[in-house]
Amino acid sequence: MNDFIWLVRREFWENKAIWVLPACIGALMVVASLFGKVEIAMLHASDQQSEVAGVLFFAAIGGVFWAAASIYSVWYLLDCLYADRKDRSVLFFKSMPLTDSATVLSKLCVGVIAIPLVYFCAADIAALLVAFVISVRARLAFGNVLWRPELWLQVQALWLYVIATGVLWYAPVVGWLMLVSAWAKRAVILHALLPPLAVMLAELLFLGTRVSCVVLRDRILGGTYAAFHHPIRWSLATGEMTPGVWQLPAAVGFLSSPDVWIGVVIGAAFIAGAVQLRKRRTDT
Amino acid sequence: MNSSPPLIEARGLSKKYGSFLALDRADFVVQPGRIVGLIGPNGAGKTTALRAVLGLTTYDGELRVLGREPFAERALLMQETSFIADVAVLPSWLRVQQAIDFVAGVHPRFRRERAAALLAKTDIGTRRRIGELSKGMKTMVHLALTMAIDARLLVLDEPTLGLDILARRGFYDALVNDYMDESRTIVITTHQVEEVENLLTDVLFIDKGHIVLDCSVEDIGARYAAVEVADDRLAAAREERPFHERRALGKTVLYFEGADREKLEALGEVGAPSVSDLFVAKLSAERAS
Repeated sequence: MNDFIWLVRREFWENKAIWVLPACIGALMVVASLFGKVEIAMLHASDQQSEVAGVLFFAAIGGVFWAAASIYSVWYLLDCLYADRKDRSVLFFKSMPLTDSATVLSKLCVGVIAIPLVYFCAADIAALLVAFVISVRARLAFGNVLWRPELWLQVQALWLYVIATGVLWYAPVVGWLMLVSAWAKRAVILHALLPPLAVMLAELLFLGTRVSCVVLRDRILGGTYAAFHHPIRWSLATGEMTPGVWQLPAAVGFLSSPDVWIGVVIGAAFIAGAVQLRKRRTDT
Repeated sequence: MNSSPPLIEARGLSKKYGSFLALDRADFVVQPGRIVGLIGPNGAGKTTALRAVLGLTTYDGELRVLGREPFAERALLMQETSFIADVAVLPSWLRVQQAIDFVAGVHPRFRRERAAALLAKTDIGTRRRIGELSKGMKTMVHLALTMAIDARLLVLDEPTLGLDILARRGFYDALVNDYMDESRTIVITTHQVEEVENLLTDVLFIDKGHIVLDCSVEDIGARYAAVEVADDRLAAAREERPFHERRALGKTVLYFEGADREKLEALGEVGAPSVSDLFVAKLSAERAS
């Protein structure tokens, strides 16, 4: 366990972007809220409308961070087992009494847990600061829509649910990225993209079908759909949001979906493969 | 000779890369307390042999290091084995202090005070990033980290590659004076045989994946002789079946293995070949045959 903490710490030393990037995004948002034009009409609207506005406010800020976290995680996972082979520092880390599985797992945890959580915290801090700036600039009492604890908590729960379901749903993608990272001798991005493209093309040319294409599309785009099931309907005019925030997560449906667990098994197999490659490869 | 079990024992050690045999049924044994030079030309299989010993690669044949199977038990092996694979393998983003903290955190046999004391002898600040340091400084940092680990086996693969003469000398001086004692064993590979021949106790010559010679330095004088022979005695000297000859400055140096001392002395001036001369002689003979 102690080793694991050091391995994770090591990742934070190496990849400063884990916290520098969200800090910059947050700072930009605060600056924008300080000097941007604030549209405050929504904040004075009726209760129901303002609830939607509040959720939208937090969702928009969270969404920016979520998109950044996703892109950064992909980049991190592709790089994490490749960078130290490229600069040969893998030979230093392999001279330590650390197993390759611990190393790979530490990088996995950073990629799918630590990075999303850091961005999540950054999104929270940014949202609070921006809400504060907007409130002051709009001279609103602190009791306005941006400062409602139950709304705040709902959005927090929602994001944590998105992160948790994302970890499971994207397990095969994560596993694949790590496998490529452990395997590629150069050009990791090409190595990550070409095999799936080749499979799709081969299927189309020789079988005339698009099964792999559909499977991949559903996996990459279907994360939120699988996690929520219900399509969300916003109505800004009436302030209706159906279903309500608390009804959105469909955890039971998600966890009982075979798609999720097939993906987890494939992801685990890829990661086991990454460990085996990690044991054998010390150079690029 | 030595009653304790060997530290490294390889039997029929082989490694194939595609169709290329990097190691071809190599046998060798390394006893504790020795400084062994693994010496061979480029592509001879030195690095492959060390990679196998360190558990960094799969292999065929039998290999035991500190009683363990290196590839399957690398993490455990690394508690008692250290290695410096090459210069500049410390990651450039790491700070010196972080390097110390990390090794102290994960290595049960690391002594932080010792690393700090060794680094204090240099003028390398602990706040500095590895990437900012010169090659010589990086090597000294790595050496300080490695020497602070209480390991039974230290493996060095071309540790001074690309360093200037001062840094190379400093490296080996530190190793011999501050690190080596009876409880430790060092295996070292290098091209620059001259540089290490004074500190070696044993040599392993390797060529094309085979071990060509496995001998202690003390035994070289007893087993091998280099005889300077004048031209008029050359024919007589060749009767004694030298395994290699080399012409230098109007004389011919003939190399003999296990030959009768008295007979050789009648032919010319007899001396023990240096490790580097013996290496050249042995390899040339091996390749000619």
